[in-house]
Amino acid sequence: MRSFLSYIIPLFLLSCQVFASDYYEQLNLKPLPHSALLASFDFRSNTSLSQFEAQNFRYFPRSLGQILQHVGTRELHLRFSLGRWDAASWGARPWDGTKEGGTGVELWAWLEADTDEEADHKWLTLTNALSGLFCASLNFIDGTRTTRPVMSFISEGDHPNSTLANMHLLHGILPREVVCTENLTPFLKLLPCKGKAGISSLLDGHKLFDASWQSMAIDIRPVCPSDQECVLEIEQTIDMVLDIERSKRPRDNPIPRPPPGHDLKCNSSKPYHAGDTCFPADSIEGQEWALDQVFGKTMKGTCPLTDPDVPPVCIQAPDSRDVYTSAGVTELKTPSGLSRCYKVPSDSEFSLVLPRMSHEGENAKTNADEMVEPETPLLYAERSFTGHGQERGGVQSILTNPSPDTEVEFIYMETLPWFMRIYLHTLKTRIEGISGFNEDVVKEIYYRPALDRARGTQLELRMRIPPASTVFLTYDFEKSILRYTEYPPDANRGFDVAASVITILPSTAPNAPPARRKTSNLRTTSLLLSLPTPDFSMPYNVIIFTSTAVAVAFGGLYNILVRRFVAADEGPAVAGGLKGKIIAGVSKLAAMFKGAKGKVE
Amino acid sequence: MPRLLSTALLMRRDPRLLKLPPYLSLLCIVVGVAWLLMLPLDDYSRRTYISENALLPGQVHTYFGGSDQNVFRAYRHEVDALKDKSNTEINDELENIFRGIGLKVGRQNYTYHSAGNTYSGENVYAILQAPRGDATEAIVLVAAWKNVKDEFNRNGLALALALTRYFRRWSLWSKDIILVIPPDSRMGTQAWVDAYHDAHDASRVASLPIKSGALQGAIAVDYPQDGRFESVHVVYDGVNGQLPNLDLINSVVNIASGQMGMGSSLQQMWRHSDKYDDRLKTMLRGMLNQGLGHAAGPHSCFIPYHVDAITLQPVGQGWHDEMGLGRLVEGTFRSLNNLLEHLHQSFFFYLLMHKERFVSIGTYLPSAMLIAANFTIMAIFLWIKSGHVEINSPSKETKSKPATTETSKAVEEKRGAAAERDLLLPLSLVAGCQFLGALPLFIFNHTPSNLLAPIFAIFSLINLTLPPLFSHLLQARRAQDKPITLQHYNLSKSFSLLLLGMFLSSLATLNFSLAFLVGLLATPLSFTRPWPGNAIAQYAYIALLNLVSPTTVIAAGAAAWARYGQGEMGVVQAVTEVLEEAAFGWDVWGMYTPLVIWCVWWPAWLVGSVVVLGQPGTAIKGDTKKKVL
Repeated sequence: MRSFLSYIIPLFLLSCQVFASDYYEQLNLKPLPHSALLASFDFRSNTSLSQFEAQNFRYFPRSLGQILQHVGTRELHLRFSLGRWDAASWGARPWDGTKEGGTGVELWAWLEADTDEEADHKWLTLTNALSGLFCASLNFIDGTRTTRPVMSFISEGDHPNSTLANMHLLHGILPREVVCTENLTPFLKLLPCKGKAGISSLLDGHKLFDASWQSMAIDIRPVCPSDQECVLEIEQTIDMVLDIERSKRPRDNPIPRPPPGHDLKCNSSKPYHAGDTCFPADSIEGQEWALDQVFGKTMKGTCPLTDPDVPPVCIQAPDSRDVYTSAGVTELKTPSGLSRCYKVPSDSEFSLVLPRMSHEGENAKTNADEMVEPETPLLYAERSFTGHGQERGGVQSILTNPSPDTEVEFIYMETLPWFMRIYLHTLKTRIEGISGFNEDVVKEIYYRPALDRARGTQLELRMRIPPASTVFLTYDFEKSILRYTEYPPDANRGFDVAASVITILPSTAPNAPPARRKTSNLRTTSLLLSLPTPDFSMPYNVIIFTSTAVAVAFGGLYNILVRRFVAADEGPAVAGGLKGKIIAGVSKLAAMFKGAKGKVE
Repeated sequence: MPRLLSTALLMRRDPRLLKLPPYLSLLCIVVGVAWLLMLPLDDYSRRTYISENALLPGQVHTYFGGSDQNVFRAYRHEVDALKDKSNTEINDELENIFRGIGLKVGRQNYTYHSAGNTYSGENVYAILQAPRGDATEAIVLVAAWKNVKDEFNRNGLALALALTRYFRRWSLWSKDIILVIPPDSRMGTQAWVDAYHDAHDASRVASLPIKSGALQGAIAVDYPQDGRFESVHVVYDGVNGQLPNLDLINSVVNIASGQMGMGSSLQQMWRHSDKYDDRLKTMLRGMLNQGLGHAAGPHSCFIPYHVDAITLQPVGQGWHDEMGLGRLVEGTFRSLNNLLEHLHQSFFFYLLMHKERFVSIGTYLPSAMLIAANFTIMAIFLWIKSGHVEINSPSKETKSKPATTETSKAVEEKRGAAAERDLLLPLSLVAGCQFLGALPLFIFNHTPSNLLAPIFAIFSLINLTLPPLFSHLLQARRAQDKPITLQHYNLSKSFSLLLLGMFLSSLATLNFSLAFLVGLLATPLSFTRPWPGNAIAQYAYIALLNLVSPTTVIAAGAAAWARYGQGEMGVVQAVTEVLEEAAFGWDVWGMYTPLVIWCVWWPAWLVGSVVVLGQPGTAIKGDTKKKVL
């Protein structure tokens, strides 16, 4: 057997070389203001649809592939997100926001089914299977958390018309789910190089989950290139924003102790500047950092399955920025002068060093020399609760279009839990920043009201915001009182309300810039809803008290009722010892004998 | 059992029973006051404890210090340089510093009008977004530019800035940290917290441009003094006598004493022997602050929104430096950061008598309730009494004789004969007085501050003449053929006391101290009655009533404050300031103490005085009355 395998494996490796382009991976680094660093990992592999049907998965993870086949999933999107994207300082989102989800876990999929019931059934199977695969509580996406979005999600894959007719889109989100290392491990296992080589060797739970914002995404969709066979593509991305200062701390000493006084970077221009007085200046100057410092380890060569022509690491920094790399690395600069990529030898370790750029002295550099200015996002969105108290509240979403000349059209989708009963008639919009705008910003409303304990509210609004203006979208709701078993058994922190999903529609204007011709997404933060909560120790006390009362009163009474109390000398004499036992045995025997006799008669 | 029942039934008709309520009422008062005085004893109070296990106070190492002190000194220089600048200039500079640290900054304008004065300012606040958080929860750090005594909070501000910069380095925050810098301690935080919960009047207070999640706790730093300090003074009184969760105070006390080796004090009791008299003193000071219901610090405005908040004031001369206070705040924030749920475990209703000793609501509430009950007992007694025909001396004679059952029954029937109650006059008198209460409330909340003292003097004079005037009017309106009887007075008093008892017992659950203090000052009203035959008693009692009238108490309180409080001032100025504070509290904080004084206490007092001055004339008594006068 072993000798047989030793023949087969080289053969297999040979065949791999042929299909090497079926796997692709790349890490994009982008320094952001306030000493943040965006790292986007992109892994893509595919298998042709016919091979997939024949259960020949190749680079496509088998565990996932079998689930998809079993429940007839045509397209699947799974997101694990933590933290929030700080759009005001970091600008537009990576991948236009299409590869991120709301806080927690978000899942949406197109399932092939003939009826809604069948789709629901398949969805249940899918969530349960994925829950086991990714160690996430996806099985808690039940009917109350599942919606069928109408306008918000558009299928990304190329589906034949025959399947398109009976495809069902289902969407579920778990805002409370805390994404952690147990989700990263199965995620990495799906990769062909499994975190052992290539850029995935940089991924480490400690750094990933210490990031200010991170999103792990899995997208599975059929892609049909115009002249080739259709393939099923799986794209796994991990985006994270690292705080360089925090990430640089060694793993064995992660506590941010105050640095020694002489290590502080001070603003020496202040008149009071002295040895013991220091106005901090570290926020003005950028940080120096190295790849292995920030990720805690070096990159171990490249994944041998990738196309050697694709550079595995790219950094978006102006040409004026000094970047040093380890030996044997080829640098490829893009013509725009704003990014460069590195080709890494397959077997050597790779690292990258960006030294501090002095903002003072002769060769003073400006921020523009140091990093690419972040793009302004198409829309800023912020959502918060209004009001206080246990009975009712309100939600206010502030949507700002920063563009000075272009209007933005988008779909705003809310998935609210059933215990948050919204009053749709209180849905109001107020516009600021533009005068004399009489048009209604809400163009279209799709509303599916909640059913108590069966399904949540689904609200989709198509809105158009004129340039340079802010829209305040508000609505009121009532908090319902839950049954006491419906409260989760954990500490009562409150109930998380899922992030609202905003899908910015591609601009139809003929002269629109390329950034506006794509669909982009963004999500607000989730909300914490506190419901009227009973004091759970109270029923507990009542139960204890009642039980005690029953035990004492009923027990005593029952005892008195069924027992007959007689004085000790009135009762039948009970002889102890061997004699007593013998007497008891004899009388027992006599009774049996009598009984048997009685039966015979 | 049946025998017991029949005895009880027989007792019901016993005339002696009707003599009991006034004594019962007196007993209630005595027991109520004695109850309160017993509370500081070891057997009636409890040691404090941390109820919420998640807080884990003092279980973490605090690292604020070292080179952070250099940064603190630099920030103090920055703050000093801004001292004489305008509100907007200060906020511009603070905004720059915040942005340098990498925080999100917001500003908010507000304008309040009260007692003819306009107060306006601009808050600046910064949000440190929890590194991996999702904007669902937040903790607040408040450092007002000026504290409640109008002192420049120089070290507090610099400390808050240095702390925020230090907090940014940690990645463990599960909640956002909001640093609020209001220009003053009295209304800036009120405007901010109102707007945070969208409960603000948009015409006076601007909305907040950026927000975070639900507020879970707030700590205000009030550190105007220079140099090292000895202990930290925890100020915890909220508006309207609402209190923060006891766990928060306990955590701070625990961290200060256990981890920092720092003393802590409450209610300005700098030296506390933990003996009976010091405990009582602390408790009474706490009750006075609670009863007045005003904001004791920048933290007070948070408490009505169910955000637990305290102010930390370093006091005394000792060896702790600013970094020590910083570590105390750090430790407290780390504890709050641990919270999974809103603070709810421990007590919200308590009286503290030492930093480690308290009584909870179940123990102290009976004292205020007993005092409120005394009014209700008297009211019910008077109602029953007014339903019987009054019997004069002849019946007493028959009773004193050993009578046969038949005669006693006859007397009983005669005595017990239902009298028709004439309700119109008493009801209109009580209702009129209650409605009249709106008048002083309106006047004192709408008078410009420079006129407050003269108006108060005029009102006090009117107050003195009102009861005789009312009494005279009543007598005059009722002609001789339809005289005012004792029953009218009894019923008026009954209704008035019924209302008072009802208001006070419900108030006791909201603001125990206010209910207790008002109840105690109103106890003479339980024993008012017309003294038709005894002018001396009548005048003595009316003098007593005037001694405990709302106006006298306010004037006396102001005088005491002028004499024993901080700062030199005359009585007139003190009265002005007290009334100004009341109007300010009413307009800005939503403080309801003036409402209780003018619409609960004052009407009851007025009716009581009218009753004392009453000259009931019945057909039988008409002659005697004339003879006396």
